[in-house]
Amino acid sequence: MIIQSIFLYLDPGSGSYLIQAIIAAVLGALFYFKNIWWRIKSFFFKPTKKDSTGNEDAHGDI
Amino acid sequence: MKMPMETSKRVAGSYKDPSGFVFLANNVICRQVNQRYAATYEHLMSSGLYTALTAAHRLVPHSELNENLTNTPNWYKTLLPDPIHFITYAYEWSGAQLRDAGILTLRIMRTAMEHGMILKDATPYNVQFQNGRPVFIDTLSFEMYDESKPWIAYRQFCETFLFPLLLERYTKVSSHHWLRMHPDGISAADTANLLPFKSKLNAGVWLHVFLQRSVAQKNDSDKSKAKPFSRQKLLNLLQHLENILLKSGKSATGTTWGNYYEETIIGQAYLQAKEKIFRQMLQSTEALTALDLGANNGHFSRILAEGNRQVIAADFDEACIHHLYSYTRKEKIKNILPLIQDIVHPSSSIGFNNTERPAFHQRIRTELVAALALIHHLAIGKNIPLPDIAAYLHGIAPQLIIEFPEKNDEKVQLLLSNREDIFPDYSEAGFEAAFEPYFDTITKVRIPDTSRILYFMNRKN
Repeated sequence: MIIQSIFLYLDPGSGSYLIQAIIAAVLGALFYFKNIWWRIKSFFFKPTKKDSTGNEDAHGDI
Repeated sequence: MKMPMETSKRVAGSYKDPSGFVFLANNVICRQVNQRYAATYEHLMSSGLYTALTAAHRLVPHSELNENLTNTPNWYKTLLPDPIHFITYAYEWSGAQLRDAGILTLRIMRTAMEHGMILKDATPYNVQFQNGRPVFIDTLSFEMYDESKPWIAYRQFCETFLFPLLLERYTKVSSHHWLRMHPDGISAADTANLLPFKSKLNAGVWLHVFLQRSVAQKNDSDKSKAKPFSRQKLLNLLQHLENILLKSGKSATGTTWGNYYEETIIGQAYLQAKEKIFRQMLQSTEALTALDLGANNGHFSRILAEGNRQVIAADFDEACIHHLYSYTRKEKIKNILPLIQDIVHPSSSIGFNNTERPAFHQRIRTELVAALALIHHLAIGKNIPLPDIAAYLHGIAPQLIIEFPEKNDEKVQLLLSNREDIFPDYSEAGFEAAFEPYFDTITKVRIPDTSRILYFMNRKN
């Protein structure tokens, strides 16, 4: 509860810098390995037309 | 356009941002840009960002007015944004609508970065639905981009978009319920407490919810020690959030009414006959706006929408609104706005001084209301007296198309099956007596081979 009340004095953006740095580091590593895997895969198989989520983009017009 | 200053009035909910505010002048929505935002505003306009976003229909377009309508000393410019037909809030949307508003926000953020800007806030209240698609309305949300900093609005985005959608996915309780309870967003701590254990196995959930909760509990105030952020890191973060959102809001959260017309015994014949009478009644109205109360799967909303009428399709059932929204997106129907609205518990006025976000009935302006297969749920399901329902509908619109199922109707009997019949006035005569003080009946047609009657009525003044 004490922690909660500290955040009442911070603006909506504060307190999210550290978490974003950590998530960005994890994602950086994730995307790095994903990229290597993608290259290996596309060396053996012809790449299909899909976006980065693996789905056809049904939200193209947003 | 010349408008007298004394009629200018700041919109109650527009008080947070010192960059400017929204106000009404002669019933026209205007946005003032204050001096302190001048340079940022000029960058938005000259960098190509405004043009890129409005060309893609992502940002509401505006024209400029070099007139200080509010007579405030820090005035810089007056903007006249294209009017939004009907203002809605995220606690009235299905998960799919919230998802699309979130995706729009993230994509605008990416485009902004290409033009040296970012979004300084990220809440669904900055998004409205217009012409069948989400559109960003807060022209003053843009700020200059500092590449060394992460996204200032990240936490707000999580709390108002991501967490309600994750809760919907894992608890099967619709996002609008979570936002109704937490209009400014739900915290990582609360979300973590509500999510089931299996959600931890999902990397996105673990990173954005559980890890965020743990990190938030440590002192994060010393930013000076944090390493500088980078453009690529921010792009990765935005892409990851979008990937999670794309998997959200996909299925409705359980339905009571989704198969109403399909399941009913009288089924197709009833529907066709009702449709025919309904279309005939519509020929005698020139209404350009309509509200379909208890819209169900939107079958009659779609008929109302023929001929370019602006239609709000309201139903309390999230599944119905989810399916109708998905349908309007797929078919690119621009003039139906699906909305979750429970007539017995409509959206009330909330926010500071109860004026920030007005109640549904304060916002609604419509020329015609359709209440089909609805009145028995209010009168018998909820015990609301018929004269009260008549008075309520009288307050909404000048014209009314209403269906009255008599007591021997299959669905009315179903409502009465497990309870005492305490409704002696629920009859054709009782209905007409209740509505007579409020409406003139123009047309009355019985749907053939049923116990249901359709009325077309004009409001008495």
